[in-house]
This record gives sequence, C-alpha cells and structure tokens, in this order.
Amino acid sequence: MSLLAWCQWLEHTPFALAISESTWLFPLIEGSHILALPLSVGMIVLFDLRLLGLAFRQGAAATLLHDVLRWSKIGFAVMFVTGGLLFVAQAGKAYGNGFFRAKLLFLIALGINAAVYQLVFYPKMGQWEPASTPAGARLCAALSLVVWIGVIICGRTMAYQF
Amino acid sequence: MMDLLTTVSNSAAIVFVRDSKYGMPAVQSVHLVGLTVLLATILVLDLRIASMGMMDWPLAGLERQLRPWTVGAVTLVILSGVLIFLGTPAKYLASNPFRFKMAMLGLAILFHVGLVRKFVTVEPGGRAPRLRMVVAGLSLTLWFLVGWAGRAIAFVP
Repeated sequence: MSLLAWCQWLEHTPFALAISESTWLFPLIEGSHILALPLSVGMIVLFDLRLLGLAFRQGAAATLLHDVLRWSKIGFAVMFVTGGLLFVAQAGKAYGNGFFRAKLLFLIALGINAAVYQLVFYPKMGQWEPASTPAGARLCAALSLVVWIGVIICGRTMAYQF
Repeated sequence: MMDLLTTVSNSAAIVFVRDSKYGMPAVQSVHLVGLTVLLATILVLDLRIASMGMMDWPLAGLERQLRPWTVGAVTLVILSGVLIFLGTPAKYLASNPFRFKMAMLGLAILFHVGLVRKFVTVEPGGRAPRLRMVVAGLSLTLWFLVGWAGRAIAFVP
C-alpha cells in the first residue's frame, strides 16, 4: 500500500470518521491544539529571547531553561496528541498539502536544532557569564524562533486549503 | 457607524487582505504568533504569582522583563484582529462568540492592568497564598476564554 493510499484509508477508518464528522470533537481538538501554543512553543520562544539577549537578561539562561522546560513538556504532549488526532481525521487531505509537508520538515529541523543545542551548548550553560551567550547558541535560538513561526504559518494556512 | 464600517471594509487594502489567496491566512498567522507570545507571558507571570513556577525569578523583576513582550504581543494580536474583523464586520457583529470574546478581552485586560500588576509590586510572601492562586487562576481563565471564544466563532453562530 502506498503512503497516499494508507492516508486515505486512515481518514476513512471509523475512529477518524468519529472525529471528523462530530460537531464538537473536531473543533475541541483543534482549539486545544491552538491554545496549547503558548504552553509549548511560547515557552521555547521565551527561552530563545533570553539566549538572544532580548528578555530575562538579569538571570542565568540555565535557570530559565529549567523553569520553562517543565511546562513546555506538558504543552508539547498536548500538541502531539491533538496534532496526531487532527492528522488522522484528515490524513488523505493532509498528505498532498504543501503547507503540511513544509510543517513536518520544519518540525524535523527544529528537532535537529534542539538536539544540537542539547549536545553542544547545554552541558556548558552553567559556566556562561550572565550577560554573554556563545554565538552558536544564539544562532540556535534565532533558527528556533524563525522556524517555529514558520510552523505556525504553515499550520494556519493548511487549514484554509482543506 | 455601520456605514463607516462598510466603507472601510470595502477599501482596497481590506479587500486585498480578505480576497487574495494568502491574505487572510497571513493575517491569521500573525494573530496566532501574537497569541503564542502574549499568552506565554501571561502564563509565566500567573504561574509565578501562584508560586507554581518560575520560582527562581523575583516577581517584580519577572514582570518588568515580560512587560514589553506582553504589550508588544497584545498590540500585534489586536491589530491583526482588527484586520480580520474589517474583512467581514457584519458577520462578526452578528456572532455571539465574537461578542463574548470582546467582553472577555476587555475584562482580561482590565483585570491584568488593575489587579494582576498590583500583586507584582508586593513581595510574594506579602499576600495570602490562596488569594494569589485565585488571582492567577482568574487571570488565566479570562485569557483562555478569549482564545476559546475566538475558536468558537468558526463553529457557533
């Protein structure tokens, strides 16, 4: 079975139809997906702003990361569950959609970016001077900001095309 | 008033935003990016007021750091919201969720400026923990009601 055929099959399973044909379920899942943005992406944005020296300058970056990461884990859990359900309900339509594909690629890029940060910069964060952030870490933060905005744009725009 | 709204909603700029292929998705995206930053700053501040998170940051200092981002984001959300509204004003004025959303938005802003920011100037230990929980909870409830009402516009008459 091709990936497209699988997506079309998935969209027509009783589980998927129960979501897409329900008056309340779909808006509820979609609303949760959107309103989990501040708890997930929003927390990462605050940390990115700190690395770029645009907010929270007084405190240590490591402390802020610890504070926001606790909450963003909950936010991203909601995001993946609701996003997965939205995909199941519209898999056939999403498959060929350029904005959906771009969104997935952006999410993969963000995962790699976060992994690089975790491996290269995270272990040394405790030794940073409060006011100075290495250029590489700032680059990670700038990439994260720009690509997360791209994810939001793609997510919102794809909904106009279904 | 309605005449003025009709005139504005038929102006070239608004018609372009409303009818071009990517006009509305672009403005809606700005609305969502603004919402993400706005509610993130509100969330972080309310968690701190309730002593549930961000405990490494003094309350007053945290509020000062967040303020320009809260103000900038709420400006972005309102400006993009006005553009969305002006595309089809009659539709929004007749929408119950939209009216509810505007009422909650007014309350949320008043509550934030009038009460939440007052809590920031006193030391965290200076007020009863339960009262601080209630204020933070009310603030979050109001702001997220604004969001849910916004989502409901597309589904509820």
